[in-house]
Amino acid sequence: MTIQDDTSKYLPLTEATYYIMLTLIEPLHGYAVMQRVEQISQGTVKVGPGTLYGVFDTLEKAGLIVMAKEESRRKSYTLTPKGKIVLASQIKRLEIMTNNGIAAMNQLK
Amino acid sequence: MGKTTVTKFRWFWAWQDEAEENWLEKMSKKGYHLSSVGLPCFYTFSIAKPRNYAYRLDYQMFRKKDKGECLQLFRDAGWEHIGEMSAWQYFRKEAKPGEPTEIFTDVESKIAKYKRVLAFLGFFYLILMTLIFTQRLPHTLSDDPYPWWGNIPQAIIVLVLIFFIYAIIKLTIRIRQLRKTVR
Repeated sequence: MTIQDDTSKYLPLTEATYYIMLTLIEPLHGYAVMQRVEQISQGTVKVGPGTLYGVFDTLEKAGLIVMAKEESRRKSYTLTPKGKIVLASQIKRLEIMTNNGIAAMNQLK
Repeated sequence: MGKTTVTKFRWFWAWQDEAEENWLEKMSKKGYHLSSVGLPCFYTFSIAKPRNYAYRLDYQMFRKKDKGECLQLFRDAGWEHIGEMSAWQYFRKEAKPGEPTEIFTDVESKIAKYKRVLAFLGFFYLILMTLIFTQRLPHTLSDDPYPWWGNIPQAIIVLVLIFFIYAIIKLTIRIRQLRKTVR
């Protein structure tokens, strides 16, 4: 089985997981992720610490993220190569969704 | 000087965590602030002036090395960790307008929390079943008459087992309800 086939089982990502993975293109610790997600989603997605801790745990066990460094109990995580593939596939799905949406809206006009 | 702390005994089932949070919030509004938990069902409150606190419960059986990381994350987000009662983690934050007071911000993570409880109950259920079978075995293998009191430990185990089955069913229903709310 190739990595490509193997990653489909993670899709679709939840909105929270998608945004969390987006912020992890560079190493970031938990609270910074919470702030970044709220900022880049323009306040549409807020991630609570319970949700974030659960997502970190799941993603780390699945090998999609990995700990990059640890400073005074704050662990920073970043995407693994497998995580990058999953994220790219999700973006592809979203692109199809958005294009379909735009085409439908144009027909409605 | 009156008493500065008071301890209350109260039972909540695992799927009643929101009712438990509401109860703690009401207590704080009356000036009783949760100061420690530990033994199941015992809540110790310190008496001070009423405050508007949000209480939230998580269920986490930490490995030692992960606990610090998790609590640090909650602290960064403004949550104070009060204590732990059989893997239930008690958090508190001052409720201010415009400040988020949820620790779980999507249905998926709420379901995941109940699934952690369910995994623990399922594990215990298996242990109890094993106990029942291994208890029966020595008597059926020997010729000694089975004493009447020999049934007492078994009766207790069966009662506990019923209690567990009830909890597992109720939690499964709670998870189903939450699933229905997922878009």
